[in-house]
Amino acid sequence: MKFLAAVLLLSFSAIAQQKPVDDDIVWLDNYQAALKEARATGKPIFLEFRCEP
Amino acid sequence: MRKYVCVRIVRMDNVDIGLFEHDRNNTLYFYLLNADEQIYMRYGGRDGRSPDSYLNLDSLALAAEKGLELHKQYQAGTLAKVARPKPDSPRNYPMLVERTFKSGACVECHLIGDFQNLHREKDGTLDKLIHLFRSPDIRTLGIELDVPKGLIVKEVRGPAQVAGMQAGDRIAKWEGDIIWTFADLQHRYDKVPRTAKTTSLTVERGGAFKDLTISLPTRWWLTDTRYRQSSIEPRSYFEDRALTAEEKSKAGLPADGFASAVTYVSTMASSVGSHELKTGDIIVAVDGKVRDEHANSASLYITLYKTPGDTGTLEVLRDGKRISMPLKTIRMSFRK
Repeated sequence: MKFLAAVLLLSFSAIAQQKPVDDDIVWLDNYQAALKEARATGKPIFLEFRCEP
Repeated sequence: MRKYVCVRIVRMDNVDIGLFEHDRNNTLYFYLLNADEQIYMRYGGRDGRSPDSYLNLDSLALAAEKGLELHKQYQAGTLAKVARPKPDSPRNYPMLVERTFKSGACVECHLIGDFQNLHREKDGTLDKLIHLFRSPDIRTLGIELDVPKGLIVKEVRGPAQVAGMQAGDRIAKWEGDIIWTFADLQHRYDKVPRTAKTTSLTVERGGAFKDLTISLPTRWWLTDTRYRQSSIEPRSYFEDRALTAEEKSKAGLPADGFASAVTYVSTMASSVGSHELKTGDIIVAVDGKVRDEHANSASLYITLYKTPGDTGTLEVLRDGKRISMPLKTIRMSFRK
């Protein structure tokens, strides 16, 4: 359960700070926006599916 | 991770569930892909032991690193393009729309899987061996992975050992398809027809690739479904275990039968009038059937061959006496 705990801790921390970040990683919440940004930057996409914390 | 565009989706309303097709009973699931929506790999997967048996920050880092390498290859035009799967939408399932969209409720991942199965049941396309028993367990083949190292094999026994797999091997392909992560492996293994007798893998050992053919054991697809119990129907509100050969012999029951001992009875059983089983009962037949090519227990037989709402008869050994009792199966409704 360590992995889940680590991921959930990051999410709760982000909620507490009212910022959509895990450390300094920006997490988008819109898939189409992610595609657009990936096209603009040439970066690949890291997509996470999860239940709402 | 800053080399990726990171996106977190918590509602499935507008997701292409044809492209992002996976076992919906996962707590977390990740895809590494590009702006053209070519998926490089998946990350996630689980088994009956725990939701994170195969989740690990080290293996996630390995996957992310590999994803960047594959992305460079894609940009350079040296990575083969993959045909996009047929699109699908949660909105294509009217019963799911009724349950979620229309009431403003969350389109939860597991609900998508559940309602896909309800529609399959209605359409007559539900194949329980495939659709209820998703994500077969590689440990049934004798493969134990070194989880932090991705697809490096830690221990081998049983069918995988007989096929020639060794500790330290890296599983590189499943039936010819390249796999990079446990999620890739589990997703590909799930596509093996349930009637298959063998499956083929390619391992990397000492820089060379070696093809292996594994003989699939009986009921290789059978997994512990308790963690996905809301997706398994019909409900009959008891748990059992298959009798051993010795127990069957002692009770004078056929060696190839599915006789099983009741290990747990839910209070729901009497509430809904499902049956009057007690812990310790031995179920020797369902509707007069004592054996089946797929089932090794009475509960599995009921799951595979009964539709929610069906009735039947259980033949039971209790305190040395053989008795019959009615069975009524139930469709669970509170999570659907």
